[in-house]
Amino acid sequence: MTQIFTVTDLNERIKDRLENDPRLHDLWARGEISNYVNHRSGHRYFTLKDRDSQISCVLFKNSGVRLGFELKDGQNVLVYGDVAVYRPQGRVQLMARGIRLDEGLGFRHLQLEAVKKKLAGEGLFGLERKRELPRYPQRIGIVTSPQGAALRDVLRIIGAYPARIILSPAQVQGDGAEESIALAIRALQGKADVVIVCRGGGSTEDLWCFNSEIVARAIFECDSPVISAVGHETDVTIADFVADVRAPTPTAAAEMAVPDIVALQTYLVQAQVRMARALWSGLERKRERLDYLVRSFSAQKMYALASEMRQRLDWLNERLGDAQKEKLTESKRRLELAQGRLAAVGPRATLSRGYAIARLPRGLVLGAEDVRPGEVVELILARGRILAKVLECNSEAEDSR
Amino acid sequence: MSEKEMGLEEALDDLERIVEELEDGKKSLEESLDLYEKGTKLVRLCQARLESAEQRIESLTGELPPDLD
Repeated sequence: MTQIFTVTDLNERIKDRLENDPRLHDLWARGEISNYVNHRSGHRYFTLKDRDSQISCVLFKNSGVRLGFELKDGQNVLVYGDVAVYRPQGRVQLMARGIRLDEGLGFRHLQLEAVKKKLAGEGLFGLERKRELPRYPQRIGIVTSPQGAALRDVLRIIGAYPARIILSPAQVQGDGAEESIALAIRALQGKADVVIVCRGGGSTEDLWCFNSEIVARAIFECDSPVISAVGHETDVTIADFVADVRAPTPTAAAEMAVPDIVALQTYLVQAQVRMARALWSGLERKRERLDYLVRSFSAQKMYALASEMRQRLDWLNERLGDAQKEKLTESKRRLELAQGRLAAVGPRATLSRGYAIARLPRGLVLGAEDVRPGEVVELILARGRILAKVLECNSEAEDSR
Repeated sequence: MSEKEMGLEEALDDLERIVEELEDGKKSLEESLDLYEKGTKLVRLCQARLESAEQRIESLTGELPPDLD
């Protein structure tokens, strides 16, 4: 027969079972500390974890005083205590009664130090390669999760500043986050004047992807300056070391990326005032010319400017007309030339054999009857032309004389 | 480069130079008037730039969460 528990009864039963198991009492557990919180009450809370699993731990105030060292995230420790169930949340936890430092740092921290050392050796953290941020970026690239609060924070700060904002979406925690972030940074190649790589606060595990080598290299190879803003002020990742500028939070990153728009507007008004004042004091210095300047010079100047512009416009119009006309005449001339040459080409061969073409303004001379004595005939020869006066016209066919 | 294409940075740099030249007081009045005119134009250009700004967000994947689109 199936028994139906209330949740309270169920947790009560689990609690009884676990807490009465002698194997879950007075035990040692080995792991790495993360999410360490030193509560105001004096109790300390943390997660003990290894590569594949984790468990919540509590160290009550009266046990804590005997520790003899400060607990820190990343420490490898041995925890002595009992398994207990926190009934309101049905949570299994380890009630620590003693903690001992395990030798060395946690595995991941060792790994982190190795990556850091390698990248530092290659010069990725070099101060000499840090680039300055543009003062007035026109394209701002943001690498972050489209769903995250970090993006909203950044957008709120950028606010009315006139720039194109290019979001390069990335998965910022969990499996594949490292590749996703690196890819998103590379996708902004050539597309941004400044890049903000950001993520809101989270546990050390959540932020871990920003410690990866491929993210570091993507930031290093980014063609525009990169501002990193990962987690809160106290979270420092390798990404922060490689970035050109590290911001404590996404909000701060946005403030660094864009100028203060109110300050800018104030500056513009001040510039106008300064110019007017400078101009005025210039006028004061030349008081004798003041009347002239105020009454006539400025008006005259405006008038001159206008008339000059009008003239220039006329001139341009004319030039435009001329240019078109010129083109037309040129075409015509070339056409005539071509026609003349075409005509010459035909009979040229004949002419070069000693023949001539006789021509009158009214047409070609083909027979003696086409001309009258005294008329001037144009003779076109193989080379050049001559004008000849007709002495006699004999329409009979050629006879021997 | 026309005024339309002129970036904010460039306009502000030009403006800064003009203000300094004017304050220097070494220019003739005519040149000063020219500078003043140019400077005023730049101020207006920058102000227009700042006021016309609406946030333009685009996503490289083409998708934006509904609250940002």
